[in-house]
Amino acid sequence: MTRWKRLVILLSIIGPGIITANVDNDAGGIATYSMAGAHFGYSLLWSLIPITIALVVVQEMSARMGAVTGKGLAELIRENFGVKITFWLMLFLFITDLGNTAAEFAGWAASNELFGINKYISVPIAAILVWLLVVKGSYRIVENVFLVICAVYFVYIPAAIMAKPDWHEVMMQTIKPTFHFNTAYIVMFIGVIGTTIAPWMQFYLQSSVVEKGVRKEQYWASRIDVIFGCFLTDIVALFIIVACGATLFPAGIKIESAKDAAVSLAPLAGKYASILFAVGLANASLFSASILPLATAYYICEGMGWEAGVNKSFKEAPQFMWLYTFLIAIGALIVLIPNAPLIAIMWISQVINGMMLPFVLIFMLSLINKPELMGDYTNSKTFNRIAWATTVIMITLTGMFIITMFL
Amino acid sequence: MPFFGELFVSEILKKPVLDPKGEELGRVNDIIVVKGEPFPKVSALILEKKKRLFNLPWTDLNIFNKKIISSKIYNEHLQSYDLSEKDLLIVRDVLDKQIVDANGAKVVRVNDVKLEGYNTEAILIAVDVGVRGIMRRLGVERGGEDMMRLFGKHLPYNLISWNYLQPLEPKLTKISLTVPRQMVSELHPADLAEIISQVSHKEGASFFKGLDVETAAEALSELQPDIQAAIINGMDTDKAADIIEEMPPDEAADILSDLPVDKAKEILEQIEKEEAEDIQELLSHEEDTAGGLMTNVFIAYPPEITVKEAIDRFRKDAEEVETVYYIYVLNEEEKLLGVVSLRDLLLGDPATRLADIMETKLKTVTPETDEVDVGEIVSKYNLVALPVVDTEGALLGIVAVDDILDRILPPAAKRKRR
Repeated sequence: MTRWKRLVILLSIIGPGIITANVDNDAGGIATYSMAGAHFGYSLLWSLIPITIALVVVQEMSARMGAVTGKGLAELIRENFGVKITFWLMLFLFITDLGNTAAEFAGWAASNELFGINKYISVPIAAILVWLLVVKGSYRIVENVFLVICAVYFVYIPAAIMAKPDWHEVMMQTIKPTFHFNTAYIVMFIGVIGTTIAPWMQFYLQSSVVEKGVRKEQYWASRIDVIFGCFLTDIVALFIIVACGATLFPAGIKIESAKDAAVSLAPLAGKYASILFAVGLANASLFSASILPLATAYYICEGMGWEAGVNKSFKEAPQFMWLYTFLIAIGALIVLIPNAPLIAIMWISQVINGMMLPFVLIFMLSLINKPELMGDYTNSKTFNRIAWATTVIMITLTGMFIITMFL
Repeated sequence: MPFFGELFVSEILKKPVLDPKGEELGRVNDIIVVKGEPFPKVSALILEKKKRLFNLPWTDLNIFNKKIISSKIYNEHLQSYDLSEKDLLIVRDVLDKQIVDANGAKVVRVNDVKLEGYNTEAILIAVDVGVRGIMRRLGVERGGEDMMRLFGKHLPYNLISWNYLQPLEPKLTKISLTVPRQMVSELHPADLAEIISQVSHKEGASFFKGLDVETAAEALSELQPDIQAAIINGMDTDKAADIIEEMPPDEAADILSDLPVDKAKEILEQIEKEEAEDIQELLSHEEDTAGGLMTNVFIAYPPEITVKEAIDRFRKDAEEVETVYYIYVLNEEEKLLGVVSLRDLLLGDPATRLADIMETKLKTVTPETDEVDVGEIVSKYNLVALPVVDTEGALLGIVAVDDILDRILPPAAKRKRR
């Protein structure tokens, strides 16, 4: 293959990985990374290296399954494990994603509060907007706008640099693992993993690869797309933690509202820090709020065998339309509860993601190692080891969390 | 004949299979099917015992129903079985698979597979694609039905007949519909009727369960009387009543008259009072007379109203009425004075009264008139409908041309089994 031909293929295949990466840094992600830095300084930085490796392995598996089988993850689970297992898995993922949707609306509400807009005004507008955007089919156009505004997050890189962190300390903490056996640390650890390797994203990524029509022969391009996206996610994560670790942690600020988190951008933007943070958070929240409920409704219908599609009416695809509407409506309503703790909603939903992750991983591992499905594309030994290690670590962490709660 | 009735595959999975002495041979693990006419049929069961698989041919079965499965052979004669890609297995290859429409778009999934006894074979008649199938697999079908009953509703059956599915082949990854998705419920009722009349009565009945009430009613009225009766008889009373209620009273009466008296009574009790009275009135006439053929739903207005008024009323009334081409003019005692054709009405001066434009030289029959005579009159005078009057001249009903035509020249679906 000539170099030019390869470049053309790469450009036509690229997309799902990068979009997934950006959706990964959603409201829940920003909140969780900010809190990790503000509350624990640099002491969680080291986890980003193993998390990145795990993220690459897991997302690569999703994309590979999509390209080789031409089927979504929920579809494969249903066809190989039957309706009973699928039903329960979908039920738990539905609850998890309801939490995630609420987190997106919480992020939107929090960023609007920075502009002085009341959540009782901002959230219903966003919910209706998102619903219409997708149902009326204009989402594709808006997607690019979202993607561009996502670049706002790169301001964390200069912000972290201008906060003048102790780079030696940062380096050391990044390569030297440490661990604290207390509930707060463990929960934060689960949250950081859960927000980075979110279960729903594996379904979303695999379906996007299928939808893009990637074939086995072009799969190498998808792999580049996915790996690039993973690094993008985690570089942003690293700089958010450093920025917050350099500004908020020494000051002993606990993040209880978006305003607190915005202070981390002060070294760069000064008094405009709030505005910069709010724009970024608002964009990330709305972007993910328009993908997450849709992706969830799609994969649940795929697994349960219900008709799905945004161009279908309530009569043609009732389950799909109701799931989608329910997720948005209830997700928004949770945020509208008076005095709802917005920041808490954002990061607790990510902890639940982390707890659900091992279950999804077990199914992925079992599917990807079936030669009758994957042919020559089953997992290598290294991949299996990393993915299994991630599964075991998540189960262990969840177990430890439960134990420390009772200690 | 080892198999009677019908069952869903999920109801027999993991069920023990007994030898003639009542010892367990193994548990049902999967079912091998082969091509058959008109539908695929079961050729063997795959049993599992102590992690080993065995092949039990259909011909070695003694009893096969959802409660008991027993074989004619003993453990030592059981053949072991190795999974083969060439065999078509219901659980492995059909259950949970995606059904795509003729364009390849994803539609629904196979939640369950329905088998039915046919001669000495068990045939695959339909796939369950509905919520009911999912609940059955989850083991909560009964609970779901009870829940729905609390709300006064039924858990609907959602079956797709094998007629609409591509022939099965080994190594399926998805199953495609042979007709566009919409057509499964939007086939013309007469075509549906033709399909139903080609398959067994029982399958017809289960097929009907998958249709919405309106379509079912229309399809049912296209069928020949004994199939109509068999199908309605095989349904539960509620559903049957819903369908009957949807039909024109004359056709409803025809079906009820073919049913056992008790069943007909039960159904009539479930139907809305007004509708039931209409049907009852029609039931009192002999079937092959004008009274048996007629319907008592027609358009009738008093003579003194103007053409304009009549047209206004007509717009409202005509929706519910099958035969609208004649407007009958009745006095207060319901005596038939004349008739205005729809054409005359539309062309008439809006200010004139119906009495001025109505045709008074009428051909009428009494309820006792034989159907052959009715046909002759309709044919001789080129009528679209013929009024039926009592001895006092009061209008009782009308016999529409399509009803009499059905008697003289039954449509294909009705003719086939005569």
